[in-house]
Amino acid sequence: MEQERLEAPETEVLSAGSHEVSDRDLIAEVLRKDRKATAEFVARCADPVYSYVRHRLFPRADLVEDLVQEVFLAAWQSLDKFRGDSSLRSWMLGIARHKVEDHYRSQLRELPIGEEDEVEGDGPAGSYDLEEAIATRQAGQMARETLADLPESYALILLWRYWGRRSLREIALETGRTEKAIERLLARARSQFKKRWHERQSATRR
Amino acid sequence: MSDNRQQDDKLFELLAEQSDQAQEERAPARLKSRIYSALMRREEESGPLRALGETRTQGYGLCVFEELWQRATSGEAAQRFNCCNLCHARVLAEHLQRAPIYWENCPYVTFTKTRKAED
Repeated sequence: MEQERLEAPETEVLSAGSHEVSDRDLIAEVLRKDRKATAEFVARCADPVYSYVRHRLFPRADLVEDLVQEVFLAAWQSLDKFRGDSSLRSWMLGIARHKVEDHYRSQLRELPIGEEDEVEGDGPAGSYDLEEAIATRQAGQMARETLADLPESYALILLWRYWGRRSLREIALETGRTEKAIERLLARARSQFKKRWHERQSATRR
Repeated sequence: MSDNRQQDDKLFELLAEQSDQAQEERAPARLKSRIYSALMRREEESGPLRALGETRTQGYGLCVFEELWQRATSGEAAQRFNCCNLCHARVLAEHLQRAPIYWENCPYVTFTKTRKAED
């Protein structure tokens, strides 16, 4: 599960000038409304949260900053629940994951997903192109560019299913759609992704 | 589940893993500044902040404006007031990615310098 990828191995101790505090002590200071501890909390967690949200919301860069801010406000409201069992970074990324999934859920509930459309075939090169390119260093960048080319519902379902590692059943439950409808949407999204990946790759080879 | 779908699932999972290994991106300093200001507003709304003197006792440094504020004002409420609300550094930092502010121990300056511990 994605949770495993969010976990950091140990509690981080970072430096705020000459003042070094553990995650748990830092949060205790924030709860006492110390302004400098609050600044350190933001400095310590903003980069990983921003990076995570940016990758999961791609290509909707316009939504990233508002969502990151929402993550911090939600975290601030629950700070007294932070026990230090996992690192502050993991705890914050857990909240970020929930916020991102809230976004996926609301978008997939609202966007038309065309349940009656037929799934297009991959064409001869579809999976082969992808398999060949996955090991290369450019694969991540190309995946993001290809996602950006897709209709929003396709990008969302691919991100949720494969980047967020949620099952079809879970997504169906969350969105109020049938599992079959989600499966068809995902199949169309994969097919379109491979088609555009292939076009992009052909264009680079030319 | 068909073989094709299983193969596709595997491919896309690998692709997701691969693209997740990209380097962590830094949040813009002005975003950190806005988040900090928003949190400080929430903290103030829910009661008084820790007094500047107590913050210093905890080992945190005060910026030149906070030092001045601490000396120039008296009374519990003033010492617990978020004097950043009155400071130009906050306004600049919330709007500019490279705000021309250089005061030592100013949180808004810190956001332009923050690095991961392992850097």
